[in-house]
Amino acid sequence: MININFILESTPKIFEAIPITLIMAFVAAALGWLLGLGIALIRKSKVPVLSQISAVFVSFMRGVPMVILLYISYYALPIMIYSYGLSIGITIDVNLVPPAIYAIIALTLDQAAYSSEVFRSSLDAVDAGQMEASYSIGMTKVQGLFRIVFPQSLAIAIPNLSGLFLGLVKGTSLAYYVGVYEITATANLLAIPAYNFIEAYIMTTFIYEVISFVLNKLFLIIENRLKKFRIEAVLQKKNIFEVVNYYGIHGAIRKHS
Amino acid sequence: MTNTFKPETILGYIPGVLKALPITMEILFLSLLIGSILGALIATANLSNNILLRKMSSGYISFMRGIPTLVLIFLLYLGLPQIALNIGIDMSNINKSIYIIACLSLNTSANLAEMMRSSYLAVGKGQCEAAYSIGMKSFTAFRRIVLPQAFGIAIPTLGNNIIILLKDTSLAFAIGVIDMMGKGRALSAASYGSNRLEVYMATGIIFWVLCIILEYSSKSAEKAYTKGRKQSAS
Repeated sequence: MININFILESTPKIFEAIPITLIMAFVAAALGWLLGLGIALIRKSKVPVLSQISAVFVSFMRGVPMVILLYISYYALPIMIYSYGLSIGITIDVNLVPPAIYAIIALTLDQAAYSSEVFRSSLDAVDAGQMEASYSIGMTKVQGLFRIVFPQSLAIAIPNLSGLFLGLVKGTSLAYYVGVYEITATANLLAIPAYNFIEAYIMTTFIYEVISFVLNKLFLIIENRLKKFRIEAVLQKKNIFEVVNYYGIHGAIRKHS
Repeated sequence: MTNTFKPETILGYIPGVLKALPITMEILFLSLLIGSILGALIATANLSNNILLRKMSSGYISFMRGIPTLVLIFLLYLGLPQIALNIGIDMSNINKSIYIIACLSLNTSANLAEMMRSSYLAVGKGQCEAAYSIGMKSFTAFRRIVLPQAFGIAIPTLGNNIIILLKDTSLAFAIGVIDMMGKGRALSAASYGSNRLEVYMATGIIFWVLCIILEYSSKSAEKAYTKGRKQSAS
């Protein structure tokens, strides 16, 4: 009923596809979250034209299914690259661009939109007094953002980011449709000759479950590490008199009002 | 390679793709219905005092969170009939839409169960205790006191889940169901792929508009429903 030989033979081949899935996920997350932070800051500080553009971008990315984004990126980008090449006078062979690039770009934009919402709400969650306090001791805006506000908002954002990242790893399975040989595509390819679909997909399921389990644990560890930046956690640990010394009267009142 | 992209033709493809809207909506509503029934059962199991039920339901939720929808679709559509055939059940004449509805119901039931659980817990014990104190039975207390409040808390998350589900219905094309995405692929295949970019953009625009409508209705539903009620301190 279940072909054990097939499982033994194809396991190494499917394992070889894990790095591609993870690379796509990590690159898309790194680029996308940076972009998302930028969008969040733009929308928060209400930069005139840019903030409206980013609002439309975010809404578009939230509304359009991943498959369609992948197809649009896969079919539109080669045309754009090619015509850009022509405009600067060189002929680029777009067939040489690996399809993973198109998938990464689509995933990056998707992550940028979703993470910008996460960052926006986590930046809002940091009390405005924090920024004022950093101004009061003579920090510049950049210093205040990077040293005071970002660490706290990151600590708030981490649980949501972990959910986003797990969704992203699952989303990479759709890159199959633009011809990237990641886990799902490899499993499908191996299964087709002898119709070993059930074995191939049980393995795929197992691999995805393990990946998301490990990532989940990893994010929990990070979340615990970052807890020290969360004011509530610090306040709970220290006794109220110390709190007054640490954060001034404001912090103590906020906690106990 | 020549640039065959004609942006002015995008809008022309929208009516063609929209012909498949009823199928997408059918998949969406049926999966939402079955998913919420399943989700309610799982949430009840998760909130029960039985440790085995609790472990099973949280195992189910984390399993469904870890598996990509596409893999679940392939597993059910390509894998399950193979197993069924071995024990003598022929599943080859089951409609493809049934598989999609089954996959999406399973997938969304986990999300909905989480939503129901957290909004139930957000209502607060005091409400239930107060209901008991005036002599309500536990089911009456749940139906008349807890449920109306939990529903109000759940509306925004429910809206998000419906949007996610709507986007996931686009995966129905993976096994050849002619939903909007499948229709788009058929339209682009009919012209040998020369208009694929325009067709996909048209499909994307339809999904975007549907999503905006859903978002707007979820917001106004929340406003209408929570009007005059005690707001949850979120």
